[in-house]
Amino acid sequence: MIGLTAVGQALDFGELMREHRAMVFSVAWHFLHDRDLADEIAQDVFLSLHKNLAAIETSAHAGFWLRKVAVQRSIDAARKRSRRPQVALVDVPEPSVRPAPGDPMLGGMLRRLIATLPETPRMAMILRYQEDLDPTEIAETMGIPLGTVKSHIQRSLALLREKLERRGVGER
Amino acid sequence: MDWLEQELAEALARKEPGSGFDARVRARIHRRPRWLAVAATVVAMVGVSEAWRQHQGQVAKQQVMTAMRIAGGKLNRVQMHLKGTEQ
Repeated sequence: MIGLTAVGQALDFGELMREHRAMVFSVAWHFLHDRDLADEIAQDVFLSLHKNLAAIETSAHAGFWLRKVAVQRSIDAARKRSRRPQVALVDVPEPSVRPAPGDPMLGGMLRRLIATLPETPRMAMILRYQEDLDPTEIAETMGIPLGTVKSHIQRSLALLREKLERRGVGER
Repeated sequence: MDWLEQELAEALARKEPGSGFDARVRARIHRRPRWLAVAATVVAMVGVSEAWRQHQGQVAKQQVMTAMRIAGGKLNRVQMHLKGTEQ
């Protein structure tokens, strides 16, 4: 499946899918904590890309476009689901063994804690640590002020640190 | 990056979607939109309904013609009978 881009170059849709599907799926999955819904949203995002392929200039442009659409669709899906993440902060189970930095158990605990954050800080944290974007890029992707992004990230980190310390997890 | 940010980057690393993702997207691209199927059904139903209406009209027309032919024949016979009586 090859389409002509805005600058008349041939872009292989299959190649774009292979290159960007993990990014699109992971944004939705980390945000929604629902694998099936994330898969469906990722499909929707690529369907949109296929319809708009003529407006895409390069693979990098496709990546930027896909990330923006994935963020918006994930937020829309969360609002449609009209309830907070399935795991409330108080419901995050206390591990029987306290995970230490570098422990795979800690990764699971962090993902569950991230899932309990409100929409905007949750997405900001995902774009910061999954996508390695700086606050300016996050502000541009989410369409919110830079100051808001910075304060959401700082507050979320402080909250996570506090929750982890309460669970006995911290720097050795 | 401190230890927590390092852990977050590892915990939120990108993951691939389930196998067959590309095929699922391609299948949806080639699927005919639902509205198109609905529109095709409506057009077919309207067409069938119009054909049935025309057929019914033809049948009614034939019946009227037959009735008029019978009535005309009878009138002719009555007229001829009346002429015979006058003579």
